[in-house]
Amino acid sequence: MGKIRRLVLDTLKPYEPSIIDIASQLSELPGISAVNISIYEIDRRVENAKITIEGEDISYPLVEALIGEMGGAIHSIDEVVAGTKIIEDAATLQD
Amino acid sequence: MRWFEDLRQRIRAYDNLTNIGEIARRYFVMNAFDGVLTIIGVLMGNLTAGVERADIVISTGLATCIAMGVSGLWGAYLTEAAERKRDLTELGRQTLTDLNQSRIGRASRTAVVVVALVDGLAPFLAAVVVLIPFFAAGLFPVITWAYYAGLGMALLTLVGLGLFLGRISRGNLILSGVKTVLAGLVSMLIIFLVGA
Repeated sequence: MGKIRRLVLDTLKPYEPSIIDIASQLSELPGISAVNISIYEIDRRVENAKITIEGEDISYPLVEALIGEMGGAIHSIDEVVAGTKIIEDAATLQD
Repeated sequence: MRWFEDLRQRIRAYDNLTNIGEIARRYFVMNAFDGVLTIIGVLMGNLTAGVERADIVISTGLATCIAMGVSGLWGAYLTEAAERKRDLTELGRQTLTDLNQSRIGRASRTAVVVVALVDGLAPFLAAVVVLIPFFAAGLFPVITWAYYAGLGMALLTLVGLGLFLGRISRGNLILSGVKTVLAGLVSMLIIFLVGA
């Protein structure tokens, strides 16, 4: 199995726990070296958060369980990078 | 001491999620206040009725304390559980997840238990404090002194609650204490006039 090195997730979460708590706890999972969370939409009691995770060997089930434990829901997996190094998506003529 | 630190962090996290501290504080003051005023009623009733046996005052007083404690515990548990459940379901509907097994769900259930305990124990303990002089009634030359001591304890408890409220609001402590004591004095006066 190839190792997942980057995950970009679109999530919906309640205001609490805050993204500070979530980022801090995600960064403590094994195989993760950095986490970035940004809020791009705020609703009455919930907010949409884009979560970017990078590491040597990210375990998606662990990430999914932690986000669920914090009351969040993963709406979509927007980007995944796996392998021995991180690559960006290649530019195409359509871009 | 690691477990203690873990517990402290968990309590803080649950408090952030459910606001347990603020709600418990509010219930504590409101119900302790209720408890003291109710037991003032019991004492004044016994005094104006001319009850001279300490054991009768203690048994009627303790019965009232127990009823207030059970009422607080039960009532708060049922109402808080219903409100929290509704809130959790609504939040879960918005996040499209079942939050019962999440940290929010656990914090919510903890909040219900904490609030119910505070709601039950606050009036019970506040009222029991007022009855203390009757347990030592033998030390007083006449039972009336125990009544006065009990009512004095009630006023002191009210002052304590007032000071606590004053500290929370960061307002005038003396004024806050006077406001709560006044409630005790007014109820004593009314019962005295009605009893006379």
